[in-house]
Amino acid sequence: MPIERYLPRLFGVLLLALLALTAWQWRNGPPLATSLLSLLPHGAGDQLVQRAEQRMQEPLNREVLLLIGHPQREQAIELVRQVAEDWRTTQRFERLQWRLDADLSALRQQLRSSRLDLLPAAARAQLIEQPEAFIQQRAAQLFDAFAGYSLLPLEQDWLGIGARAQQTLNPQQRIQADLGSGALLLQDQGMTWTLLRARTRDGAFDLQAPAEIAAAVHRARDTVGAQGGQLLAASGMLYAAAGQATAAREISWIGGGALLATLLLLLLAYRRARVLVSLLPVGVALLAGSSACVLLFGQVNIMTLVLGTSLIGVALDFAQHYLSKSWGQSNWHSWSALRATLPGLSLSLATNLIGYLALAFTPFPALTQVAVFSAAGLIAAYLCAVCLLPAWLSGLRLSPAPALLGGSQRLLAWRAALLAKTGSGPLLGLLALFCVGGLLQLHSQNDLRQWLGQQPQLLAEAQQIAELTGQQPTSQFFLVRAADPQQLLQRQAALSARLDQVVASDQLRSYRSLNQLLAPASQRLALREALQALPQHWQPLLAAGIPEAALRAELEQLLDTPPTNLEQALAGPFGEGWRPLWLGRSDSGVAGLISLQGPADMPSLRAAAEGLDGVQLVDRLGELNGLFAATQLSAAELKLTSCVAILLLLSLPFGLRGALRVVCLPLLAALTALACLGWLGQPLTLFSLFGLLLITAIGVDYTILMRENIGGPAVSLLGTLLAALTSWLSFGLLLVSQTPVIANFGLAVSLGLFFCFLLAPWASPATRRGTTQNTDQTTVWDELSRPMANPSTYGCPPRAAPRLDKDCQ
Amino acid sequence: MIRALLLAGLLLCASLAQAFDLEQLSAQLAKPALLRGPFIQEKHLRALPQPLTSKGLFVLSAEHGLLWQLRSPLHLDYRIDANGIARRTKQGWQQQAGQDSAGQQSRLFLAVLKGDHAGLARDFELHLGGSADAWQLSLTPRSLLLKQIFSVIQIQGGALVERIELQEAQGDSTLLRLPDSQTGNSLSEQERNDFAD
Repeated sequence: MPIERYLPRLFGVLLLALLALTAWQWRNGPPLATSLLSLLPHGAGDQLVQRAEQRMQEPLNREVLLLIGHPQREQAIELVRQVAEDWRTTQRFERLQWRLDADLSALRQQLRSSRLDLLPAAARAQLIEQPEAFIQQRAAQLFDAFAGYSLLPLEQDWLGIGARAQQTLNPQQRIQADLGSGALLLQDQGMTWTLLRARTRDGAFDLQAPAEIAAAVHRARDTVGAQGGQLLAASGMLYAAAGQATAAREISWIGGGALLATLLLLLLAYRRARVLVSLLPVGVALLAGSSACVLLFGQVNIMTLVLGTSLIGVALDFAQHYLSKSWGQSNWHSWSALRATLPGLSLSLATNLIGYLALAFTPFPALTQVAVFSAAGLIAAYLCAVCLLPAWLSGLRLSPAPALLGGSQRLLAWRAALLAKTGSGPLLGLLALFCVGGLLQLHSQNDLRQWLGQQPQLLAEAQQIAELTGQQPTSQFFLVRAADPQQLLQRQAALSARLDQVVASDQLRSYRSLNQLLAPASQRLALREALQALPQHWQPLLAAGIPEAALRAELEQLLDTPPTNLEQALAGPFGEGWRPLWLGRSDSGVAGLISLQGPADMPSLRAAAEGLDGVQLVDRLGELNGLFAATQLSAAELKLTSCVAILLLLSLPFGLRGALRVVCLPLLAALTALACLGWLGQPLTLFSLFGLLLITAIGVDYTILMRENIGGPAVSLLGTLLAALTSWLSFGLLLVSQTPVIANFGLAVSLGLFFCFLLAPWASPATRRGTTQNTDQTTVWDELSRPMANPSTYGCPPRAAPRLDKDCQ
Repeated sequence: MIRALLLAGLLLCASLAQAFDLEQLSAQLAKPALLRGPFIQEKHLRALPQPLTSKGLFVLSAEHGLLWQLRSPLHLDYRIDANGIARRTKQGWQQQAGQDSAGQQSRLFLAVLKGDHAGLARDFELHLGGSADAWQLSLTPRSLLLKQIFSVIQIQGGALVERIELQEAQGDSTLLRLPDSQTGNSLSEQERNDFAD
């Protein structure tokens, strides 16, 4: 037949085009994205919020923080020196900071000109409320052999305002610079820790950077460990590296394992090596899926690939549909088997597509990408199975393992015996009880942390670093908007006053706000007034030998200096730590952030922002978790919608009653899987819900196969079993993923597949009469399929089920 | 900070050794288990004709640490031991550690006390001259950071350290004199109590 000659050639052209497209897409290396977080929906906030989020995320994605500890201080400094030297040569880092090599003259310059404005809140309050205490403290300092080093010489800072303002530089006092080496040190329980802060050239989303950074950390750990030291590391890069390594490992293990097991299964079942060409659609599907993603999104995410490996099972199913018919007859022929099963194949494709595309309508880029990947992959696999495979399988004489068919027949016989005793009703009742019991125990859980694999060691180290340094950046922060910098400082000061209480009640570790660098003008005005009254209190300084003229001159100079504005304060070296908090000016005014050091209690933070103008608490994590939960609802709606669509589609060949049965059985299977999750104590996550959504589509595939009943119930059941097994091999292996969301997805789908297979025989038309032997039923499907499945070429009437073997012999 | 470094210099001599007699000097200065005496500190500022002068007493115990008792023009007591710097308040000794760089200097100090001078030798260039009866030791900072703070520390003495002078990078200088130090055998009851709590 000419069509049988054209189809393979046509497909060959398509395949070549696909290969060319892929080659072009890969011309600059693999178009892979590795950030799981880039698959999350974008924030709902306006542009400013998104800019603020980027600003806060940047250091998390680019910075590496190392603490290198040794019982001996000198050794700790030597170790950090070695590690920094080694890292410098790797060219991976754009900045490496392990010592204070500050330009003291720039610091002195800013301190001289703005020391009054840079005075920290506590010193300011003391100067206003207890000027005599302030002066006494200064007098003592003049003779204190152990007072810290002052940046300004005495004669430029008689009153000691510069010495106090200088503390702004190091608000958390735990980290000290070693004056000899400049190393940043931290003492804790007999250990000296040195600090190394590195900023990488490429972000965590780069393909190679995380692995190389992880290797650099590993090398540093070896160096330090070999010399009796200890190393702690914290960086978003390390999580990215671990995630990448896990994903790469899982793609090769899960994908490879599924493929190998499937290969064995096919060989065992059909006992012909040539059958293995039916694996070809898998390759074509993966190729088409990733190239469609690159086409639509510019890149394909590594998580899409992991979830996409599950496509292997589904892509194989198409070929199974007609290969399994070889049990039904001895003179199996590829093209005629295809013609007999083509309507079923096409329906399967349509229902699967509906299931996958329903995913695309969620607001989650992750699922949209998986949907596009799978839809493109399915279409490619279908075309490959329909156009190319029959040509390659043509002339093959299949003699599949008869034991399998026997097993299938025995299964059906058991089922018939069971049903003869009990009937379907009581079994359905039991299942309903099981479902109700399980559903009652089901709990829903959505947490972004499930996206990240569990990395207990990384977490423990980050925790230890947080305890040692007091630095534990949280993803929450405050965004404060105002008309001008003055108002911004005012608003941040108002919020700070409330945050102080939150810190005092241990609901927050600490925070950093712009008003810590520069107090609002109103507070600085009060300070200037207090300064004018200072001569009444400076007797102790005169007694120490400082001439009154010198004090007066300094006071005058302080009062004459024009007030510093926020942008000036930020521009100087003192402002360095606060610069990231300043978002700058825009048409609508100015904006600044207040960053938080965790652990933070969200209700307290929310309460702190309450009623303050221009203050907004930005909580991306909470927002996302909320979005997860909300999406579950819309997912359930999607599921029902997709079912209605499938129902409508199937009522064309099967009639409404038949279609209902074909659709309701997978739904029941999904419900039972849901109940199982409940019984197992596993949470229902957004991902397991989507897994079940897929199950309804894949399950319909099986019920169609049973309903279609080509070759009889035993042959159809065997086909279903093989299809379910290959699907399960890929989905089931996702169970072992270390990323909780993927494992959860795998579990839900595995359970769903199992119940789909178990319930599928009820879709078979014969069972409506309670017997597998009934051959008198005609359905709409038969009407439709008869012209396609030509009995003369196919050898046997389609539904002459168990007697088929004999008829054909 | 500067004064602390002066004191560091004082103890440094007791533990550093180099070609000539640094070895001997080190042994010589390390001999007494207990040292006490008056100190006079003069702060020479370019802006003032007269130095800012303060006086007091010190007790240095190889075993316990250092008591630094400022008596004029203010009355202030400090203690440096394994726990860091403490200041005497009405409520008793109050630990100063963790408050700016002072805590770090006390550790520097104790590192010297214990003879752990590797770090100091790396941070300073040492030059010793004179004889065992009259010697001078100069410490020149190596690191960029220290060079921005002071230019040189000069230490002089005979059997014991007598004079320490620190030249600040910005032009002022501090002179610490220990004119009449005496070696001793045991702490007084009061001193023992001061080191105890």
